[in-house]
Amino acid sequence: MDISVQFKKGALELCVLVLIHEHDRYGYELAQSVSQHIEVAEGALYPLLRRLVGEGYCTTYLQESTGGPPRKYYKLTPEGEHYMKRLVIEWKQFVKSVSNLIERGSRL
Amino acid sequence: MNKDQFMAQLHDHLSVLPPEERSELMEDYEAHFTFALQNGKTEEEIAHELGHPAELAKEAIDGRFIPKEPVYWFNPEIPDPGPVQAPVQQQSVRRRSGFTTTMVYIGLCFLNLILVPLLFSFWAVGISLVVSALAGIISPLGVALDYAFGHGFFAAKGYATVALVGVGILLAIASRYVLKALVRISVSYWGWNVRVAKGGTGHE
Repeated sequence: MDISVQFKKGALELCVLVLIHEHDRYGYELAQSVSQHIEVAEGALYPLLRRLVGEGYCTTYLQESTGGPPRKYYKLTPEGEHYMKRLVIEWKQFVKSVSNLIERGSRL
Repeated sequence: MNKDQFMAQLHDHLSVLPPEERSELMEDYEAHFTFALQNGKTEEEIAHELGHPAELAKEAIDGRFIPKEPVYWFNPEIPDPGPVQAPVQQQSVRRRSGFTTTMVYIGLCFLNLILVPLLFSFWAVGISLVVSALAGIISPLGVALDYAFGHGFFAAKGYATVALVGVGILLAIASRYVLKALVRISVSYWGWNVRVAKGGTGHE
């Protein structure tokens, strides 16, 4: 498997949480928003969303749409928001450390 | 791959999931196809963007949310499995009949009739080692007393005592290991006896 696929998979959860935090979104909308930024197998979104709901970070509600099936919206719970903020901090630290390391390596 | 092929493959790969979970996921993908088709994409494009059904199914099965606390559907007061196992073991111990117990005790009695004296003789060897080590180490005191009580001083006795101190120290080191081994053997032999008498499995 492509290495960058693994990177993206790890980041997908964070991206999804941030996107839902911006405003409630439904599955297809999320897929489109995510693939605007990173190229990822969109189908991986749905198992991830199920897990987030199972862990209590998200709740869902249905909303009728004109001329289509009802949309299942995902909403962040307070725990989900807390979790997202923690993930963002950890992500930033992690990225900083890795970049530092790469820079140090390239100077040699 | 068109929509039907995608959904059929996904359905097959998700067969290990509980039916409700599978149908919920299938609905998610179904809705995705509907929305994407409304946006003017072809089925092939959508299936390609979604990814391979086998990998998606793997994702769904591996990353499945499993509650950390075991879920009890019938009675929330069921104790955790830890304490439950102990009584089961006790039952299996108690299953031995009275006759077997008697025979085990008789067998152990005869065995110990031979083995306990043997163990004692080993201990005697160990203790004699300690005593001779001590004797060697304090032998200069004997020579000093000998001289103090007016038997005179012989150079040969002096040299002999130096040698004896050396031997004593070496014996002391040796006896340390011997004693340790004896303690270990005795303790484990006692433990084995207790286990056999109580009807344990006899090995650890």
